[in-house]
Amino acid sequence: MTQRISNAQRSKMQNPLIQFFKFFYLNIRILKIVAGGHGGTRK
Amino acid sequence: MAKIVVLGAGIAGHTAAAHLRRKLSKDHEVLVVSPNRNYQWVPSNIWVGIGRMKSKEVIFPLEPLYKRKGIGYKQAKAISFHPEGDSSETKPYILVEGVFGDNLGKQEKVTYDYLINATGPKLAFDMTEGLLPATNKVYSVCTYDHAEHASDALHKLIDQLKKSDKKAKILIGTGHAKATCQGAAFEYILNVEKELQKFGVRDKAEITWISNEYELGDFGMDGMLMEYNGFNMKSKDMVEMIFEDRGIKWILGAGVTKVEDGVVHYENLEGEYKTESFDFGMLIPAFSGHGFQAYDKDGQNITEKLFRGFMVVDADYTPKPYEEWTVQDWPETYQNPSYKNIFAPGIAFAPPHTISKPRKSKNGTEIFPSPPRTGMPSGITAKLVADNIIDSIKAGKESLHHKGSLGNMGAACIASAGYGMTQGSGVSITTYPIVPDYKKYPNTGGRDIKKTFGDIGLAGHWVKLALHYAFIYKAKMKPFWWLIPE
Repeated sequence: MTQRISNAQRSKMQNPLIQFFKFFYLNIRILKIVAGGHGGTRK
Repeated sequence: MAKIVVLGAGIAGHTAAAHLRRKLSKDHEVLVVSPNRNYQWVPSNIWVGIGRMKSKEVIFPLEPLYKRKGIGYKQAKAISFHPEGDSSETKPYILVEGVFGDNLGKQEKVTYDYLINATGPKLAFDMTEGLLPATNKVYSVCTYDHAEHASDALHKLIDQLKKSDKKAKILIGTGHAKATCQGAAFEYILNVEKELQKFGVRDKAEITWISNEYELGDFGMDGMLMEYNGFNMKSKDMVEMIFEDRGIKWILGAGVTKVEDGVVHYENLEGEYKTESFDFGMLIPAFSGHGFQAYDKDGQNITEKLFRGFMVVDADYTPKPYEEWTVQDWPETYQNPSYKNIFAPGIAFAPPHTISKPRKSKNGTEIFPSPPRTGMPSGITAKLVADNIIDSIKAGKESLHHKGSLGNMGAACIASAGYGMTQGSGVSITTYPIVPDYKKYPNTGGRDIKKTFGDIGLAGHWVKLALHYAFIYKAKMKPFWWLIPE
């Protein structure tokens, strides 16, 4: 069965204060993955 | 002194040219050949397509920037490749044709020591009958001018809905059985839905997603298992949850074959031939190679050494079943095996196979997404190609230390889900690796679950907006631009 976004979740998603902190959290998390390097897969 | 020619000035071509110029002395020539006079930050086209950004905010002219930075520039298109030269030209060259001003239609040989083919895809609207943008009520957001037309048509429809009791049908997704770039269509459908809400006409529109994906959330990457709110969730479930929340219907496994005025014809995986009507449509076309020809020094056609649709690179192109695909099939250096001074980063390289599982309809029609290689991977592969060329020039011998397989590279997809500083939303998804490595991560769908996560909310919109300004800054090569990662 399809999950639904609850009203509580929706208000968190649009809460500017929570999202302000999430903005920095997301940026750091994305940067760690993106700038975390890349390389080959063959020996 | 070396001469490096970069074909194309999109994300890959421009990134490569910028890094080459920064790291090589002025003794070496960097020349960009592109038919486009503007750089465009393609990921923001979806905002142009809903009228929230002007096209001038996502583009800037290339020539003045290149002049300032000491990068040569020709507004021309490539015609043919001559990697051995010919009877009158000993150096390898590209035959190009001017597309603007006094040089319009004039052909010339552009010689090179190193060639970076970053021509990206041809937007193959012609592979689907009737798909030409701004005809038959169907539009595109693949370029900024396409997106402007889409915005005009969308707002015309919104005005009609405001003034009448008319109901409208909106259809957004992929316009070919093997199209890619589902992410852009996903962003666009959510933005269109949000705009309809904003203008108070949401209840008058039925919005439908049509896609060649087998499941929602495939995105041409075989879907992904991700961490969401502390739980593991499939991308299918996440997208389904978002569509349910927004009241968006979906049609999956659909290979669009033809578009008529407000009607799309498609075949599904069950082998049924169906139609869907619409008042406004945005369908992503198939991407194809540009159909370049290549010749050796005697004028013999050697196109198969350079191209198999897109450019041949260091991938393993041996045909094999899906179950035997590995990340090792994917290229690491994007070097052509026959001509070691030719490279093809970004979308220009021929992938060894798709990432999504190939599927056929009951009639034998192949319906599945082609592999996406846009945005971030384009920038990363272009930089590593530039770095290998720089090292080779400096060392005086071939150096291929910089490697970046899509099987060992992460990607971030920050999908806008609605524009607005307080009312906007974004779906942030990171994936590592882009091509699933089922041997290394057997229990998590081929992905490192610590680096594959999803998030929905206003912050995602702010991140996407911040990236827009950061990457335009970087592309304009303003102070310390190179500190911003690809």
